[in-house]
Amino acid sequence: MVPLHTTFRAMASENELQLWAEDASQARAAAAAAIADVARIEAKYSRYRDDSVTTRINRAAGGSAVAIDTETLALLRYADQCHTVSGGLFDLTSGVLRRVWDFSRASPRVPDLLSLAAATALVDWRKVEWDERAIRLPSAGMEIDFGGIGKEYAADRIASICTERGIEHGLANLGGDVRAVGFRPDGTKWRIGIRHPRIGGELIASLELANAAVATSGDYQRFFEIDGRRYCHVLHPRTGMPAMHWQSVSVVAPLCVVAGSCATIAMLLEAEAESFLAAQKIQYCAVAANGSVCGNAVTAAHT
Amino acid sequence: MAATSSGAGAADEQSKGWAKTSLACSRSAASELDIGAANSAGALVAAALALPGVMPATAAAEVAPDQAVVEFKYFDYRDWQPGADRMRVISPGLYLLKPLSGSLAIEGTLVYDSMSGASPLFFNTLSGASGEGVKDYRTAGDVRLTKYYDRVAVGLGAAMSTEQDFFSRAVSLDVRRASDDRNRTYAFGVARTWDRIDPTNFAVENEKRRTVDFLLGVTQALSTNSIVQSNVTYSTGRGYYDDPYKPGDTRPDSRRVFAWLTRVNQYLPAFDATLKFSYRLLRDSFGSVANALEVAWHQPLPEGWSVMPSLRYYTQSAADFYFDPPFPRGFVLGRSYTADTRLAAFGAFTPGIAVAKTLPDGWSVNLKLEYYRQDPDWRLGGSGSPGIQTFSARWIQAGFSKTF
Repeated sequence: MVPLHTTFRAMASENELQLWAEDASQARAAAAAAIADVARIEAKYSRYRDDSVTTRINRAAGGSAVAIDTETLALLRYADQCHTVSGGLFDLTSGVLRRVWDFSRASPRVPDLLSLAAATALVDWRKVEWDERAIRLPSAGMEIDFGGIGKEYAADRIASICTERGIEHGLANLGGDVRAVGFRPDGTKWRIGIRHPRIGGELIASLELANAAVATSGDYQRFFEIDGRRYCHVLHPRTGMPAMHWQSVSVVAPLCVVAGSCATIAMLLEAEAESFLAAQKIQYCAVAANGSVCGNAVTAAHT
Repeated sequence: MAATSSGAGAADEQSKGWAKTSLACSRSAASELDIGAANSAGALVAAALALPGVMPATAAAEVAPDQAVVEFKYFDYRDWQPGADRMRVISPGLYLLKPLSGSLAIEGTLVYDSMSGASPLFFNTLSGASGEGVKDYRTAGDVRLTKYYDRVAVGLGAAMSTEQDFFSRAVSLDVRRASDDRNRTYAFGVARTWDRIDPTNFAVENEKRRTVDFLLGVTQALSTNSIVQSNVTYSTGRGYYDDPYKPGDTRPDSRRVFAWLTRVNQYLPAFDATLKFSYRLLRDSFGSVANALEVAWHQPLPEGWSVMPSLRYYTQSAADFYFDPPFPRGFVLGRSYTADTRLAAFGAFTPGIAVAKTLPDGWSVNLKLEYYRQDPDWRLGGSGSPGIQTFSARWIQAGFSKTF
């Protein structure tokens, strides 16, 4: 067994890939194919790219329908399912809300009710017209944004590509979204540390997994604080206001897209998150607003 | 992470006395054509003639230094582009110059660039919401031994640079000869560089590149108050030039770069200040032509202070095989192609300000701030490449040195 460990930059984050293969050339070939697919997904779905599918769809908002391929259709179907299961909290059209929340300003402020109302008026996945062949956003200004599942989807693609190439032990981490292939070569589970939501570089909990994924949604990626209240980028599609109940939620699931969307939904469900996660029969580790750790997946809590 | 094309051309212009091997400029300033990182020894040769700080009023008669210098520099680079990641590099470095005898001196630099990222020890990886992770590093060093004769100085140098995806070694030789009246110095330099590229996405493996650089220059004191220097450099290389992180990027397997740099320093007694002016023309076998103009005003102030505002304008035409995004129509497989915006047509401005203070016992401190902004509309004559966004960067350089 030959190990390979590499880091690479994609999707605006630092990513890493570890895998074990029979020999070096098998390892390199699998890694090259996996990393190339991440680049392909980024080019195809990034809203920052001029020629991406997302940009084309958004530019045609209020106009004509845009043809989609099977991959895009699969993602839309998955997003639709998340929308249903979450009672509308997971909404692929909620990206427009970032226009009224400016987290990078030197002196940030909470947007006024009028701006929030104008933005939330453009958020409604149910209004989007789509079928197996095409998608159309009915009003100009509406947008879809795959940012909420893009990285997780790419992590799952890495796992598929590695498995197709005979890799039986591997771990991919795309900016904190983790997907494991198999167990560690010695038969033990992968040990995953959960980042402390308030203290950089530290861990708050850890968990173990194999043949599964873990994704974390938190209030510490983009945020500002006013009068002791934190306003983060996880925004409720109907009110446009940020989730406030949890500092972070990490979800373990067989697929990274499931882990990621459940983590986001849990953040938005706020106090109802735990019953939702229990109903989905999903393992999780959540850090409440007061810093206490709860969840059924935790191997160890570090306080 | 571009191991290949990078903007150290900008770096060695901006950081004249300092390490030509600065990573941040070499890898991420999406700016000027590179005669730097791919040819760091070429830059070494050029820098051998870049007199640190302010050029003296007389041509440098080749005299061995009689004092040692230790300099510590801290370099902080950050860039940004609408919709793209911010990149941040922090690079501390050390420079040392030591006379070994009355006619021999050794100098060297050591730079360590790291973009932090705590590596989990016990855990296999960390899950979090902030997109952090393990990042990249670079160590680079160079050393040069210079022997001083009556009117001639001969220097022999070696340099090495290691990154996660790029490994470079170079050797150089430079000879400087002063004229009888010591108002003129001729310079000749040659360097050979070996690069190896091993990208972290495994798109290619163990690719190589070899370059030879030549330099011919003359420095002439025009009067007691003015000095001019003109250098011509020619670089020829063969090997791997593609950017392995950009799919479809295919560049020729050879590259020749011709550059002509002229600098003038004029001391103005009425102000007790020096006006510095430089112009560089660069032609590249990739098809690009670049012009850079820089003006600076070095003003000494009381109590050992000095301040130097500067402004640089740079304009570049696109490489022959640069195609505006998206993927070009009529493209023929087997021909060179790049969508790398560093090879597009654009113009850029760099305003900057440097402040220094000499302290007792041979100490001195300095601080330099520069802001870079690039825009296709700023290309001289208009017609910059369409479809590329503006790019901005800033760098802060702070340092202190001791002469003893």
